[in-house]
Amino acid sequence: MSMYYYGYNAGGYTTTSYGAQGGADGGGFLGGSQAGSQDTPGGTKRYGQDTLRPVTIKQLLDAVFPYPDAEAKVDGTSLTQVDLVGRVSTVSAQATNTTYKIDDGTGVIEVKQWVDGDAPPELQKYTPKEGDYVHVWGKLKEFNNRRHVGSHVIHPITDFNEISYHLLHATAVHLYFTRGPLGGANGAAVKSEGQGMFVDGGYGATNGAPGAVGKKLPPRISPIARKVYEFLQSTPQNNEGLHVHNISHQLNIPANEVFKAGDELLGEGLIYTTLDDETWAVLEY
Amino acid sequence: MAEQISTPRITSQYLDAFTGKTVIITGKVTQTRGDTALIDSEGVVTVLLNRDSHLKPGNAVEIVGKVNQDLTVKVLMATDMGTNLDYAAVNAVVDATHRYKEIFYTE
Repeated sequence: MSMYYYGYNAGGYTTTSYGAQGGADGGGFLGGSQAGSQDTPGGTKRYGQDTLRPVTIKQLLDAVFPYPDAEAKVDGTSLTQVDLVGRVSTVSAQATNTTYKIDDGTGVIEVKQWVDGDAPPELQKYTPKEGDYVHVWGKLKEFNNRRHVGSHVIHPITDFNEISYHLLHATAVHLYFTRGPLGGANGAAVKSEGQGMFVDGGYGATNGAPGAVGKKLPPRISPIARKVYEFLQSTPQNNEGLHVHNISHQLNIPANEVFKAGDELLGEGLIYTTLDDETWAVLEY
Repeated sequence: MAEQISTPRITSQYLDAFTGKTVIITGKVTQTRGDTALIDSEGVVTVLLNRDSHLKPGNAVEIVGKVNQDLTVKVLMATDMGTNLDYAAVNAVVDATHRYKEIFYTE
């Protein structure tokens, strides 16, 4: 289990056993650690705490805050950073920030941009005008039952294809969290439902050899764990299975990542240990 | 709680399901004559222009408008989207929004 944390420690900051790998912003740390320990019954592991997720505004309005100051959840997954695309419908300048109402056709939400009065003119941020289409990166917040997005970056949209791509991306990510990744044995079935156009290189590619045989893995299984599972399935081996370092070497994935993947797969009862804790074989039944 | 108003994205095939509603139609301007214009959005849509809308034939346009009983669309806002718009992507979005309503529209 200790191997699991090496990758993070190497990154220059220590982790806690609560599963909180730091907040997106300093103040979020406590909230994040609470979310990690309280909202994941059964000790479900949460890897890669910080995410940037493309969303529709309706998803932000529908997002659930498990308790005040927690990170909101969409499709059962915590949001840290989000990005959205929409049209500015109103602009209201205030002393410390400018508040924009952004409409993407699925809903309307307020986006706040902090005013940086000290910045020299050449570094002044782009300030959206009414009617502009913009791409916003930020964090969903809730105060007094009013939601807004605290923006980090707002870019004007000049190529309008960005709107289509963003909405399709948001759909693909939504389906990823609700139905699991595409690919493998699963892929063919998904395609026959007419979702072929959502084949996304990012998800498809993580699933390794296309057409690999095997049962459908639960949606919560991480891409690396899927890769390890498919490798175990598709690689010729004796009944002792494969050693972690062998898998790590052949897939070119660091050993600690393979250990993490193994923990996931072992936890799900998809693989079992053979000679020792570090040698695994697919559990077939 | 923020107000929740959604404006569905549709193509010409969906018009009769959205009469009386405000929708978004993105397509190519094929013809303008006086205060009406024809938009190609997987089929022809007749739009009734307002004074502010300046449609350029051959360009892509995003229309926010209201669907009348006769399936014409009264333009509330028109945004020129240039000549470089990927219509396949636009139509894929419409398809996705109706297939996976849960993240796009409240009914």
